[in-house]
Amino acid sequence: MRKLALALAGSLVLAACAVPHDRGAVKVEKESAGQAEVTAVFDRYRKVRNTAIELLDAKPLSTVESGAVLAIDSGSFEVSQRLAKTQKEDTAAVEVTDVLTPRFTKYPLWFYAVVREQSVGVNRVQIFERQSSVDPWLLTATPETLAETQLPEIRTQGGAALTVSPADGRGMAMSPKEAATAYAKVLSTPDSAEAGKIADDSFIKQMRSAAETNSGLKGVGFQQSWGANDVKYVLRTSDGGALAFVTLLRLDTYVVQPGLTVTWPEGTPQQAFLSSGISGSGKLRYYHQVLLYIPGGNGKPRALGQYGGVVSADSGLTQE
Amino acid sequence: MRTKLGWALSVLGVLVAVLGAVVMVLLGPDSRFTTGPHAIETDETAVVTAPKVITWADVQVDVLAEVPVRKPIFVGLGNSVDVADFVRRTGRLEVTSFKRPWRLTTRNVDGAANLPGAPTAVDWWIASSAGLGGASISTRLPDETVSLAILSVGSSNLTGLEVTMAYGVEGGFAKGAGMLLLGVGTVWLGLLVRRGRDEDWDDWEDEVEEDVVYVYVDEHGVEHEITAEEAGDFEVVEEVVEEVVEEEAAPRPVTEPAPADEAVHDPDSVAPTGPAPSVPGVLTAADVANVAAATPASEQVLYVYVDEDGVEHEVSEAELAEFEIVDEEDDS
Repeated sequence: MRKLALALAGSLVLAACAVPHDRGAVKVEKESAGQAEVTAVFDRYRKVRNTAIELLDAKPLSTVESGAVLAIDSGSFEVSQRLAKTQKEDTAAVEVTDVLTPRFTKYPLWFYAVVREQSVGVNRVQIFERQSSVDPWLLTATPETLAETQLPEIRTQGGAALTVSPADGRGMAMSPKEAATAYAKVLSTPDSAEAGKIADDSFIKQMRSAAETNSGLKGVGFQQSWGANDVKYVLRTSDGGALAFVTLLRLDTYVVQPGLTVTWPEGTPQQAFLSSGISGSGKLRYYHQVLLYIPGGNGKPRALGQYGGVVSADSGLTQE
Repeated sequence: MRTKLGWALSVLGVLVAVLGAVVMVLLGPDSRFTTGPHAIETDETAVVTAPKVITWADVQVDVLAEVPVRKPIFVGLGNSVDVADFVRRTGRLEVTSFKRPWRLTTRNVDGAANLPGAPTAVDWWIASSAGLGGASISTRLPDETVSLAILSVGSSNLTGLEVTMAYGVEGGFAKGAGMLLLGVGTVWLGLLVRRGRDEDWDDWEDEVEEDVVYVYVDEHGVEHEITAEEAGDFEVVEEVVEEVVEEEAAPRPVTEPAPADEAVHDPDSVAPTGPAPSVPGVLTAADVANVAAATPASEQVLYVYVDEDGVEHEVSEAELAEFEIVDEEDDS
């Protein structure tokens, strides 16, 4: 009898499966991408990138990259073309170690992924974005961290990563937008008021060191300025902080005394862009994508990784 | 308890069976309810449902959109975020509410005459179809917010649009039939339970049956079972209630329920009120009591002498002094 009753109950439960139901208060939102879509995005990216490498031409990259990433990679390809160097094709197995897909109520959609580059000992922390429903997925940020760098844990809800509004600084020392501005300010002016609010990380030290070297050139006036683009991609970390993708524009200006020329070593990007060096004055523009971690509480923001390069150069300007 | 459960099962069975039959009748053998074709008056490029119009999930939906003169047309179902973005700059007729079987509330939204791209070129449609003069989709509504879009492809518009819609449950007719059978089975089970013919029933309920047994104990301590009628002549000195719960796995013979008027199952009939009828040839309790009363109170003792050959010889109490007592045997 007991078995009979269980069978009866089971039949009723099975009969209730996949029964049409009203979802009630519906939420208009979408998880940015499914697993299959993410896989397809990576496959397509890799295929196009390898085609660009094979052709030694950055043009195909415009179908899979945009913004600062495209600018940096185009600069890199230009350097390769000018130096007649071939780039290494990406034939190794892509090891995507983490994918997080936030939910959005409207476009643009984006997702976060961590790709391990075992051969060079780095992790690429990437953002792919779909600007509108008719646009393809494009790589828009790809800062690199050392393989041993511990990335903060991203907070999720219902399987989807939580995002933070760039202007929202609740629970943190400052908002991601303020942190980006302060970070750029500290890079431009080391003794600014913001210096005490930002951690003196290795990226800042490295940039300052390069700037000091250039400033030390005799007969050359050197000036370096930094600016931060609008912050678009911010994820909530499990400690209540935020992980922000910040794009910084760096401008190096050289004013050289008459009769002098500033040159760079063979094979460097600067030499590729300014093969005859700078006489008079010249400018080099760089993009640096910084992975900025703003800890929960009162911790100071610090960079965990970066990806950057020369994107354009001007030379031979008349000294005013 | 058994009767109540039996009735409950029967009622449940009837409800399930009726529900199954209703599902079968409503959906029909093709498991869906069809409405249309319905004309939609518009000269726009797109007809879309607003994000919160489709609130149901797991409904099988078939949509057929037809336009005259073999104009190219597209029908698609997608997440509302995708669809809303796709048509956000396009002039469209937006369905703001939908009531079954077919009652629409619409509004016109101004915008460009063209779509931002070919709907067939995007990859986020959950279900889509394109054709000349007509296109149709058949899909199950997912558990996410979706919108239906009927789009004109190319430079044409949706003038003369007619829509036929069907909705139902995938395999609904079969499910209805299953529910009907399940209901009938449940009704039958309820009947069995009410009649008490279910062999396993006692295992389920562990029901305690009460049997009243009348016992007369004679002067030797021997119990004799007597009828209720015979018991009327005796004084009840002790009532022993013994609960016998059978083990679950133990087989039990099928017992027919006793008639309700049988005194043996009626706890109130322990002391019968009427005179006990006498049956010829059968010793009544009164006779047994009389015999018991005539029995001498003292016990008669028998003395036996056993000779060297092992033969027993009865001896009187007077001769007993000449022998040595080696054994006293109590025959009682």
